Amino acid sequence: MGRSCKNCGSTSIDVDQSRGDAVCMGCGSVLEDNIIVSEVEFAERGGSAHAMGQFVAGDSGGKNPNFGDAYYTGRESRAQTLSNARNSITTLGRSLQMNQHCLDTAYNFYKMALSKRLTYGRRSAHVVAACLYLVCRTEGTPHMLLDLSDIVQVNVYILGRTFLVLARELCINAPAIDPCLYIPRFAQLLEFGEKNRDVSMTALRLLQRMKRDWMHTGRRPSGLCGAALLVAARMHDFRRTIKEIIAVVKVCEATLRKRLTEFEATPTSHLTVEEFMKVDLATECDPPSFTAGKTKNKMAELEMELEKKMVDVEGEIQSYHDEIETELESCRPKLKGVYASDSAPEVIEGEEVDEEVDEELMAVAKHFGKELTGGGRRGPSLESILGPMPTAASLGLQDSIRTAVDEEKENDAGESGELDLSGIDDGEIERYLLDDNEIKIKTAVWMAENSDYLKEQKEKEAKIALEKELGIYKEKKTRASGKKRGPIRARTADEAIEKMLERKKISSKINYDVLKDLNVRPPASPAHSATPPRSATPTRGFAGRNAVRSHAPAPLSLGTPLSSLGKSILAPMGYGREGGQYPSSLGGLGECGRGAKWVRVGGGQHPDALHLGSSPTGPG
Amino acid sequence: MDSGNEDALDIIITNVVATFRTRCHLNLRLIALEGVNVIYKPEVGKVLMKLRKPKITASIWSSGKIICTGATSEDESKVGARRLARTLQKLGFRVRFSDYKVVNVLAVCSMPFSIRLIDFTKKNRPIASYEPELHPAATYRIKQIKATVQVFSTGSITVTGPNVQTVATAVEQIYPLLFECQKPLRK
Repeated sequence: MGRSCKNCGSTSIDVDQSRGDAVCMGCGSVLEDNIIVSEVEFAERGGSAHAMGQFVAGDSGGKNPNFGDAYYTGRESRAQTLSNARNSITTLGRSLQMNQHCLDTAYNFYKMALSKRLTYGRRSAHVVAACLYLVCRTEGTPHMLLDLSDIVQVNVYILGRTFLVLARELCINAPAIDPCLYIPRFAQLLEFGEKNRDVSMTALRLLQRMKRDWMHTGRRPSGLCGAALLVAARMHDFRRTIKEIIAVVKVCEATLRKRLTEFEATPTSHLTVEEFMKVDLATECDPPSFTAGKTKNKMAELEMELEKKMVDVEGEIQSYHDEIETELESCRPKLKGVYASDSAPEVIEGEEVDEEVDEELMAVAKHFGKELTGGGRRGPSLESILGPMPTAASLGLQDSIRTAVDEEKENDAGESGELDLSGIDDGEIERYLLDDNEIKIKTAVWMAENSDYLKEQKEKEAKIALEKELGIYKEKKTRASGKKRGPIRARTADEAIEKMLERKKISSKINYDVLKDLNVRPPASPAHSATPPRSATPTRGFAGRNAVRSHAPAPLSLGTPLSSLGKSILAPMGYGREGGQYPSSLGGLGECGRGAKWVRVGGGQHPDALHLGSSPTGPG
Repeated sequence: MDSGNEDALDIIITNVVATFRTRCHLNLRLIALEGVNVIYKPEVGKVLMKLRKPKITASIWSSGKIICTGATSEDESKVGARRLARTLQKLGFRVRFSDYKVVNVLAVCSMPFSIRLIDFTKKNRPIASYEPELHPAATYRIKQIKATVQVFSTGSITVTGPNVQTVATAVEQIYPLLFECQKPLRK
């Protein structure tokens, strides 16, 4: 400290901490007395020495030390936000079984986001979930965005958008998802026992192969994993059905089948099991969508050629037709075009061709538009054909003729807002408007259709008028409030299910009759039943993809424990949210109050398996 | 419009979105009752009117703001917009055609080669982003010209921008980047 003595100006000053004095060495004058020292002091408590004082974290406001008054003015808002976020992250992370390090990193991300004002206008749940997913990606944990959205009950794409914004603003380059990351997790869920390692390794090799064959770009990694695991399982003599796989992997059946067919198309699929283990084919394939595009192009080309040929043939037939027409017109009373050829005996065979030709001509004419300018002769016969057709068809044709003749002049509309009418055909526009008769009809129809809406509007106006009179009227902004339903009161699970079915509009894919016939008896421990558990309950709604869950019902096999079926179908509907009664023997199936349902294949107890969605509380 | 290489790349414009104002209040119910190709959406508060030629769908609001979509070129869009205004004029509204502006142009283009999306994303971070869980294409946003390019692994790309010139520029800008990350085809 560059202090100098006031009396003599000397800079050598002796500061004694223990006595709390500052004394000048030159003249001996005391410059300071009772210096406040900032040293760590220790006090003895219960035998060991502890440092005195409170720990105040640098980032948060912490507890304001109350100097004498015990009344808290409340913690500052920022500290509160952060502590809320901390809780949410911890809760979410626990349900995903993420370790503490990940949770801390997520918390740091959240703080960064907060300081960059990225949380404004976004639900805190979304931001928290996005932070967690960011950590998952940077750490390479096998968590999918779909899992997170399951727990938070938010549409995957919304979460994805938040995640992308976060990653961009925080300049965090999340490495691309490798489907290989998911294999161990899914393999564990599929329960291969001791052969887990082998199956995983095979599946990994299959995935590598798929990557080289260009099946994996642009595809969801979970779908590829599912296909690889299915094939690997079959290779090791495990009979895993598609349904079990999709329950674990969370893609739909169609996707899985598609991946399998694509894999089938690659040369690797023709190898036997042993060959595959030893050899890795050197050739690579084109991506499947590319080959699909190529076949489409080929089809289009073929069609073009066919059309050209058709036009040529039509040209010939048309010349015959013309000749016939001239003859007939000259010697007979004028008949309609189609029937003209009727009376001519020589061209009976040509008759059917003519009809087809006329229709085709129509089609071709519409397509090319300008072929009709030739000759009024064609005019009447066309009219006769087109007569029964709606006027719009003739409209289209005549218009195309007109535009072929007219020229569109391009003028600016002018800054004054005057409408430049050049090139706009008033006549055509007249046709866009209905005439009086039609207006009456349409009004009647419209009124009939929208009568409910109109009634509502009138009632609203009446109410507003009334309120205005009474002076209560407030300008209310109607906010779209969600459907609020009261709680279902029922004595047994059956009643509750019935009532809920009546109330809620559920998907059209469920066969309600069958459901109603299911006599829902108290389940006889379906989770541990000896019947093949695999076939039982892999019904899983795609809760993550849409807010509304809809899914196909599982087929009723003989071994299906009926009660578990009923509950597992209905459970994702949010039944659990209303606190319905579940017999607890369904314990193997981890239901939770929040609606994210996991139906475990096999129903055994696997404490170390990734157990998602079983938290009783969601994010705060 | 070339990309500057020997083979010309066809940039096909598939959609042009334009807005304009009529500077007068429009009675949607009247339009709904007297127009031929109209759909009235009272919940949202707009009327959809579809024109046959050029093939255009217009959303008409009662404030007089109209959004015109579905045209395949800027000129077509303008013609359609004017036609629409004429129709409204015939219905009896005092329409003035003002503030015509093309807001968005969508075009597709096909590269003759496949593209390695993961490589492409790695080389162009953070401008490019690729989330296979969400969308099969990698999105590349060019900030200076305000265009977005979506790159698919088959080599086709879709470009959206505020006008046709921007779209062309975007394709020219992105072509070399895509060329680097191409995957040569087997056949």
